Amino acid sequence: MKKITMIISAGILALTFTACNSTGSKQTNNTDSATMPSVTTTSPAIAANAKPADGILTGYINLKNSLAADNGSDAAKNGQEILDALSKFDASALTPDQKKVFLGLVGDIKENSEHISENGDKIAHQREHFEMLSKDMYDLLKATGTSKEMYLDSCPMYDNGKGTWLSEMKEIKNPYLGNKMPTCGAVKETIK
Amino acid sequence: MHIFKKILLALLIVFIAIQFVQPARNKNGLVEPVDVTKAVSVPENVKMILQTACYDCHSNNTNYPWYTYVQPVGWILNNHIINGKKELNFSDFGSYPIRRQQSKLKAIADQIKDGEMPLYSYTIIHKNARLSKEQKALLTDWAQKAKDSLDKINP
Repeated sequence: MKKITMIISAGILALTFTACNSTGSKQTNNTDSATMPSVTTTSPAIAANAKPADGILTGYINLKNSLAADNGSDAAKNGQEILDALSKFDASALTPDQKKVFLGLVGDIKENSEHISENGDKIAHQREHFEMLSKDMYDLLKATGTSKEMYLDSCPMYDNGKGTWLSEMKEIKNPYLGNKMPTCGAVKETIK
Repeated sequence: MHIFKKILLALLIVFIAIQFVQPARNKNGLVEPVDVTKAVSVPENVKMILQTACYDCHSNNTNYPWYTYVQPVGWILNNHIINGKKELNFSDFGSYPIRRQQSKLKAIADQIKDGEMPLYSYTIIHKNARLSKEQKALLTDWAQKAKDSLDKINP
Protein backbone atom coordinates (compact mmCIF):
# COMPACT_ATOMS: atom_id res chain seq x y z
CA MET A 1 0.00 0.00 0.00
CA LYS A 2 2.76 2.37 0.97
CA LYS A 3 4.71 1.63 -2.16
CA ILE A 4 1.69 2.19 -4.37
CA THR A 5 0.85 5.52 -2.77
CA MET A 6 4.45 6.58 -3.17
CA ILE A 7 4.45 5.71 -6.85
CA ILE A 8 1.17 7.47 -7.46
CA SER A 9 2.20 10.57 -5.57
CA ALA A 10 5.42 10.65 -7.56
CA GLY A 11 3.27 10.49 -10.68
CA ILE A 12 1.13 13.36 -9.47
CA LEU A 13 4.22 15.39 -8.70
CA ALA A 14 5.65 14.72 -12.13
CA LEU A 15 2.42 15.79 -13.76
CA THR A 16 2.12 18.97 -11.74
CA PHE A 17 5.70 19.71 -12.66
CA THR A 18 4.96 19.40 -16.37
CA ALA A 19 1.91 21.51 -15.76
CA CYS A 20 3.79 24.28 -14.01
CA ASN A 21 6.42 24.18 -16.68
CA SER A 22 4.07 24.83 -19.52
CA THR A 23 2.48 27.83 -17.88
CA GLY A 24 5.65 29.04 -16.21
CA SER A 25 7.48 30.09 -19.33
CA LYS A 26 4.48 31.91 -20.72
CA GLN A 27 4.83 35.63 -20.51
CA THR A 28 2.45 37.12 -17.97
CA ASN A 29 2.75 40.82 -17.59
CA ASN A 30 -0.83 41.95 -17.55
CA THR A 31 -0.44 43.35 -14.09
CA ASP A 32 1.04 46.53 -15.44
CA SER A 33 -1.89 47.46 -17.62
CA ALA A 34 -4.44 46.02 -15.21
CA THR A 35 -3.40 47.95 -12.14
CA MET A 36 -2.50 51.18 -13.87
CA PRO A 37 -5.25 53.75 -13.96
CA SER A 38 -5.92 54.65 -17.55
CA VAL A 39 -4.14 57.85 -18.41
CA THR A 40 -6.09 60.42 -20.30
CA THR A 41 -4.06 63.03 -22.06
CA THR A 42 -7.06 63.78 -24.25
CA SER A 43 -8.60 67.15 -23.73
CA PRO A 44 -12.37 66.86 -23.53
CA ALA A 45 -12.90 70.03 -25.55
CA ILE A 46 -14.55 69.17 -28.83
CA ALA A 47 -13.31 71.14 -31.78
CA ALA A 48 -15.79 72.57 -34.24
CA ASN A 49 -14.51 70.24 -36.92
CA ALA A 50 -14.37 67.18 -34.66
CA LYS A 51 -14.01 63.89 -36.48
CA PRO A 52 -15.17 60.50 -35.22
CA ALA A 53 -11.65 59.06 -34.96
CA ASP A 54 -10.22 61.96 -32.94
CA GLY A 55 -10.14 60.04 -29.65
CA ILE A 56 -8.38 57.07 -31.18
CA LEU A 57 -5.99 59.37 -33.01
CA THR A 58 -5.03 61.17 -29.78
CA GLY A 59 -4.14 57.84 -28.20
CA TYR A 60 -2.21 56.88 -31.30
CA ILE A 61 -0.19 60.13 -31.32
CA ASN A 62 0.67 59.68 -27.62
CA LEU A 63 1.72 56.12 -28.39
CA LYS A 64 3.90 57.21 -31.29
CA ASN A 65 5.66 59.76 -29.05
CA SER A 66 6.20 57.21 -26.26
CA LEU A 67 7.79 54.80 -28.71
CA ALA A 68 9.95 57.57 -30.17
CA ALA A 69 11.12 58.19 -26.58
CA ASP A 70 11.86 54.44 -26.17
CA ASN A 71 9.35 54.30 -23.31
CA GLY A 72 7.58 50.95 -23.40
CA SER A 73 5.60 51.33 -20.21
CA ASP A 74 4.11 54.65 -21.35
CA ALA A 75 3.42 53.06 -24.72
CA ALA A 76 1.48 50.33 -22.90
CA LYS A 77 -0.68 52.98 -21.23
CA ASN A 78 -1.25 54.65 -24.58
CA GLY A 79 -2.32 51.30 -26.01
CA GLN A 80 -4.96 51.16 -23.28
CA GLU A 81 -5.92 54.74 -24.14
CA ILE A 82 -6.67 53.66 -27.69
CA LEU A 83 -8.74 50.73 -26.41
CA ASP A 84 -10.74 53.10 -24.19
CA ALA A 85 -11.32 55.47 -27.09
CA LEU A 86 -12.33 52.56 -29.27
CA SER A 87 -14.94 51.41 -26.77
CA LYS A 88 -16.40 54.92 -26.78
CA PHE A 89 -16.31 55.19 -30.55
CA ASP A 90 -19.69 56.08 -32.02
CA ALA A 91 -19.98 54.10 -35.24
CA SER A 92 -23.56 55.31 -35.76
CA ALA A 93 -22.18 58.74 -36.74
CA LEU A 94 -20.50 57.20 -39.78
CA THR A 95 -21.76 57.02 -43.34
CA PRO A 96 -22.36 53.47 -44.67
CA ASP A 97 -19.09 53.59 -46.62
CA GLN A 98 -17.12 54.80 -43.61
CA LYS A 99 -18.76 52.18 -41.47
CA LYS A 100 -17.67 49.46 -43.83
CA VAL A 101 -14.05 50.60 -43.59
CA PHE A 102 -14.31 50.94 -39.82
CA LEU A 103 -15.74 47.45 -39.37
CA GLY A 104 -12.91 46.03 -41.47
CA LEU A 105 -10.34 47.70 -39.21
CA VAL A 106 -11.80 47.68 -35.70
CA GLY A 107 -10.76 44.12 -34.85
CA ASP A 108 -7.20 44.72 -35.96
CA ILE A 109 -6.92 48.07 -34.15
CA LYS A 110 -8.18 46.41 -30.98
CA GLU A 111 -5.85 43.46 -31.22
CA ASN A 112 -2.76 45.51 -31.99
CA SER A 113 -3.56 47.92 -29.14
CA GLU A 114 -4.07 45.01 -26.76
CA HIS A 115 -0.67 43.58 -27.61
CA ILE A 116 0.92 46.98 -27.14
CA SER A 117 -0.81 47.52 -23.80
CA GLU A 118 0.18 44.06 -22.52
CA ASN A 119 3.85 44.18 -23.49
CA GLY A 120 5.23 47.23 -21.69
CA ASP A 121 8.52 45.41 -21.14
CA LYS A 122 8.94 44.34 -24.76
CA ILE A 123 9.26 47.44 -26.84
CA ALA A 124 10.39 45.56 -29.96
CA HIS A 125 7.15 43.62 -29.86
CA GLN A 126 5.16 46.80 -29.29
CA ARG A 127 6.80 48.30 -32.35
CA GLU A 128 5.83 45.30 -34.48
CA HIS A 129 2.22 45.90 -33.56
CA PHE A 130 2.60 49.65 -33.91
CA GLU A 131 3.60 49.09 -37.52
CA MET A 132 0.32 47.26 -38.20
CA LEU A 133 -1.65 49.74 -36.14
CA SER A 134 -0.19 52.61 -38.17
CA LYS A 135 -1.57 51.05 -41.33
CA ASP A 136 -4.98 50.70 -39.71
CA MET A 137 -4.90 54.31 -38.56
CA TYR A 138 -3.96 55.54 -42.01
CA ASP A 139 -6.91 53.73 -43.58
CA LEU A 140 -9.24 54.93 -40.83
CA LEU A 141 -8.24 58.58 -41.24
CA LYS A 142 -8.49 58.31 -45.00
CA ALA A 143 -12.07 57.11 -44.61
CA THR A 144 -13.35 59.23 -41.72
CA GLY A 145 -11.18 62.34 -42.02
CA THR A 146 -9.02 64.05 -39.45
CA SER A 147 -9.51 67.27 -37.51
CA LYS A 148 -5.80 68.05 -37.62
CA GLU A 149 -3.34 67.79 -40.44
CA MET A 150 -1.37 64.55 -40.22
CA TYR A 151 1.75 63.37 -41.98
CA LEU A 152 2.51 59.88 -43.21
CA ASP A 153 6.18 59.21 -42.49
CA SER A 154 8.33 56.36 -43.65
CA CYS A 155 11.70 55.06 -42.52
CA PRO A 156 13.86 52.98 -44.90
CA MET A 157 15.83 51.55 -41.98
CA TYR A 158 12.98 49.63 -40.36
CA ASP A 159 11.38 46.43 -41.71
CA ASN A 160 12.78 46.86 -45.23
CA GLY A 161 11.32 50.32 -45.56
CA LYS A 162 7.82 49.13 -44.72
CA GLY A 163 7.81 50.92 -41.40
CA THR A 164 5.43 53.82 -41.80
CA TRP A 165 3.71 55.93 -39.15
CA LEU A 166 1.49 58.95 -38.76
CA SER A 167 2.68 62.13 -37.12
CA GLU A 168 1.07 65.39 -36.07
CA MET A 169 4.24 67.31 -36.90
CA LYS A 170 6.41 67.74 -39.98
CA GLU A 171 9.58 67.15 -38.00
CA ILE A 172 10.64 63.48 -37.97
CA LYS A 173 10.66 61.66 -34.65
CA ASN A 174 11.16 58.01 -35.39
CA PRO A 175 8.98 55.70 -33.25
CA TYR A 176 10.64 52.51 -34.52
CA LEU A 177 14.29 53.32 -33.88
CA GLY A 178 13.87 55.82 -31.03
CA ASN A 179 17.09 57.32 -29.73
CA LYS A 180 19.18 55.10 -31.96
CA MET A 181 18.15 57.04 -35.05
CA PRO A 182 15.61 59.65 -34.00
CA THR A 183 15.46 61.56 -37.27
CA CYS A 184 15.49 58.71 -39.76
CA GLY A 185 12.61 59.02 -42.16
CA ALA A 186 10.75 61.37 -44.46
CA VAL A 187 7.24 62.70 -44.96
CA LYS A 188 5.52 60.77 -47.72
CA GLU A 189 2.06 62.23 -47.66
CA THR A 190 0.00 64.90 -45.96
CA ILE A 191 -3.44 63.83 -44.75
CA LYS A 192 -6.01 66.55 -44.28
CA MET B 1 3.77 9.45 9.34
CA HIS B 2 0.13 8.66 9.75
CA ILE B 3 -0.86 12.16 8.68
CA PHE B 4 1.47 11.94 5.72
CA LYS B 5 -0.30 8.82 4.55
CA LYS B 6 -3.68 10.48 4.92
CA ILE B 7 -2.58 13.44 2.87
CA LEU B 8 -1.33 11.15 0.15
CA LEU B 9 -4.58 9.27 0.16
CA ALA B 10 -6.53 12.54 -0.11
CA LEU B 11 -4.32 13.64 -2.99
CA LEU B 12 -4.89 10.32 -4.69
CA ILE B 13 -8.65 10.68 -4.36
CA VAL B 14 -8.53 14.21 -5.77
CA PHE B 15 -6.31 13.00 -8.60
CA ILE B 16 -8.74 10.23 -9.51
CA ALA B 17 -11.75 12.52 -9.19
CA ILE B 18 -10.39 15.16 -11.55
CA GLN B 19 -9.90 12.52 -14.24
CA PHE B 20 -13.64 12.56 -14.74
CA VAL B 21 -13.58 16.20 -15.81
CA GLN B 22 -12.39 15.91 -19.39
CA PRO B 23 -12.52 19.07 -21.51
CA ALA B 24 -14.15 18.82 -24.92
CA ARG B 25 -11.70 17.81 -27.62
CA ASN B 26 -10.65 20.41 -30.16
CA LYS B 27 -10.97 18.19 -33.19
CA ASN B 28 -13.60 18.44 -35.88
CA GLY B 29 -11.62 16.71 -38.62
CA LEU B 30 -12.77 19.19 -41.24
CA VAL B 31 -10.96 21.47 -43.63
CA GLU B 32 -13.37 24.35 -43.49
CA PRO B 33 -14.13 26.59 -46.47
CA VAL B 34 -12.51 29.43 -44.54
CA ASP B 35 -9.31 27.44 -43.92
CA VAL B 36 -6.04 29.30 -44.47
CA THR B 37 -5.23 27.07 -47.46
CA LYS B 38 -8.34 28.44 -49.22
CA ALA B 39 -7.54 32.07 -48.43
CA VAL B 40 -3.91 32.23 -49.52
CA SER B 41 -1.65 29.85 -51.37
CA VAL B 42 0.08 27.40 -49.02
CA PRO B 43 2.74 25.12 -50.55
CA GLU B 44 2.76 21.51 -49.38
CA ASN B 45 6.04 21.79 -47.42
CA VAL B 46 4.75 24.83 -45.54
CA LYS B 47 1.48 23.04 -44.82
CA MET B 48 3.42 20.17 -43.26
CA ILE B 49 5.27 22.52 -40.90
CA LEU B 50 2.06 24.33 -39.98
CA GLN B 51 0.44 21.00 -39.18
CA THR B 52 3.20 19.69 -36.94
CA ALA B 53 4.28 22.91 -35.24
CA CYS B 54 1.24 25.22 -35.21
CA TYR B 55 -2.08 23.48 -35.68
CA ASP B 56 -2.25 21.90 -32.21
CA CYS B 57 -3.09 25.31 -30.75
CA HIS B 58 -3.95 27.39 -33.81
CA SER B 59 -6.58 25.32 -35.62
CA ASN B 60 -9.76 23.38 -35.00
CA ASN B 61 -7.82 20.12 -35.14
CA THR B 62 -5.49 19.30 -32.29
CA ASN B 63 -3.38 16.18 -32.35
CA TYR B 64 -3.76 14.78 -28.83
CA PRO B 65 -0.97 12.63 -27.32
CA TRP B 66 -2.05 10.07 -24.68
CA TYR B 67 -0.99 12.13 -21.67
CA THR B 68 -3.42 14.88 -22.54
CA TYR B 69 -6.13 12.53 -21.31
CA VAL B 70 -4.59 12.76 -17.86
CA GLN B 71 -5.72 15.75 -15.84
CA PRO B 72 -4.65 18.42 -15.08
CA VAL B 73 -2.45 18.19 -18.20
CA GLY B 74 -5.48 18.18 -20.48
CA TRP B 75 -6.92 21.27 -18.78
CA ILE B 76 -3.73 23.24 -19.19
CA LEU B 77 -3.48 22.21 -22.80
CA ASN B 78 -7.10 23.18 -23.31
CA ASN B 79 -6.35 26.67 -22.01
CA HIS B 80 -3.45 26.97 -24.41
CA ILE B 81 -5.71 25.96 -27.28
CA ILE B 82 -8.39 28.49 -26.32
CA ASN B 83 -5.83 31.29 -26.09
CA GLY B 84 -4.01 30.14 -29.20
CA LYS B 85 -7.16 30.04 -31.29
CA LYS B 86 -8.21 33.45 -30.02
CA GLU B 87 -4.97 34.94 -31.32
CA LEU B 88 -4.88 33.01 -34.56
CA ASN B 89 -6.95 30.17 -35.94
CA PHE B 90 -5.75 28.78 -39.25
CA SER B 91 -9.06 26.94 -39.68
CA ASP B 92 -10.93 30.27 -39.57
CA PHE B 93 -8.32 32.41 -41.26
CA GLY B 94 -10.41 33.10 -44.36
CA SER B 95 -13.24 34.55 -42.26
CA TYR B 96 -11.01 37.33 -40.89
CA PRO B 97 -11.35 40.78 -42.44
CA ILE B 98 -8.57 41.19 -44.98
CA ARG B 99 -6.68 43.66 -42.79
CA ARG B 100 -6.60 41.16 -39.96
CA GLN B 101 -5.33 38.50 -42.36
CA GLN B 102 -2.52 40.84 -43.42
CA SER B 103 -1.63 41.67 -39.84
CA LYS B 104 -1.70 38.01 -38.85
CA LEU B 105 0.67 37.03 -41.63
CA LYS B 106 3.08 39.75 -40.57
CA ALA B 107 2.71 38.68 -36.93
CA ILE B 108 3.41 35.06 -37.87
CA ALA B 109 6.70 36.08 -39.51
CA ASP B 110 7.57 38.40 -36.60
CA GLN B 111 6.84 35.80 -33.92
CA ILE B 112 8.94 33.16 -35.64
CA LYS B 113 11.81 35.58 -36.27
CA ASP B 114 11.71 36.68 -32.62
CA GLY B 115 11.72 33.04 -31.51
CA GLU B 116 8.47 33.51 -29.59
CA MET B 117 6.61 30.84 -31.51
CA PRO B 118 6.25 27.88 -31.30
CA LEU B 119 6.12 28.32 -27.52
CA TYR B 120 9.15 26.98 -25.67
CA SER B 121 6.93 25.06 -23.26
CA TYR B 122 5.37 23.32 -26.25
CA THR B 123 8.59 22.41 -28.01
CA ILE B 124 10.08 20.83 -24.85
CA ILE B 125 7.48 18.11 -25.16
CA HIS B 126 6.85 18.20 -28.91
CA LYS B 127 10.33 17.70 -30.28
CA ASN B 128 9.11 17.63 -33.88
CA ALA B 129 7.71 21.15 -33.42
CA ARG B 130 11.22 22.50 -32.97
CA LEU B 131 11.89 24.40 -36.15
CA SER B 132 15.24 24.29 -37.90
CA LYS B 133 16.72 27.45 -39.37
CA GLU B 134 15.56 26.33 -42.81
CA GLN B 135 12.03 25.61 -41.63
CA LYS B 136 11.85 29.00 -39.98
CA ALA B 137 13.02 30.67 -43.18
CA LEU B 138 10.47 28.67 -45.17
CA LEU B 139 7.64 29.79 -42.89
CA THR B 140 8.62 33.44 -42.71
CA ASP B 141 9.12 33.60 -46.49
CA TRP B 142 5.73 32.04 -47.02
CA ALA B 143 4.03 34.44 -44.60
CA GLN B 144 5.72 37.37 -46.31
CA LYS B 145 4.72 36.21 -49.78
CA ALA B 146 1.16 35.51 -48.71
CA LYS B 147 0.98 38.97 -47.17
CA ASP B 148 2.37 40.54 -50.34
CA SER B 149 -0.36 38.82 -52.36
CA LEU B 150 -3.00 40.32 -50.05
CA ASP B 151 -1.29 43.72 -50.12
CA LYS B 152 -1.93 43.75 -53.86
CA ILE B 153 -5.67 43.43 -53.28
CA ASN B 154 -5.75 45.72 -50.24
CA PRO B 155 -2.76 48.10 -50.23
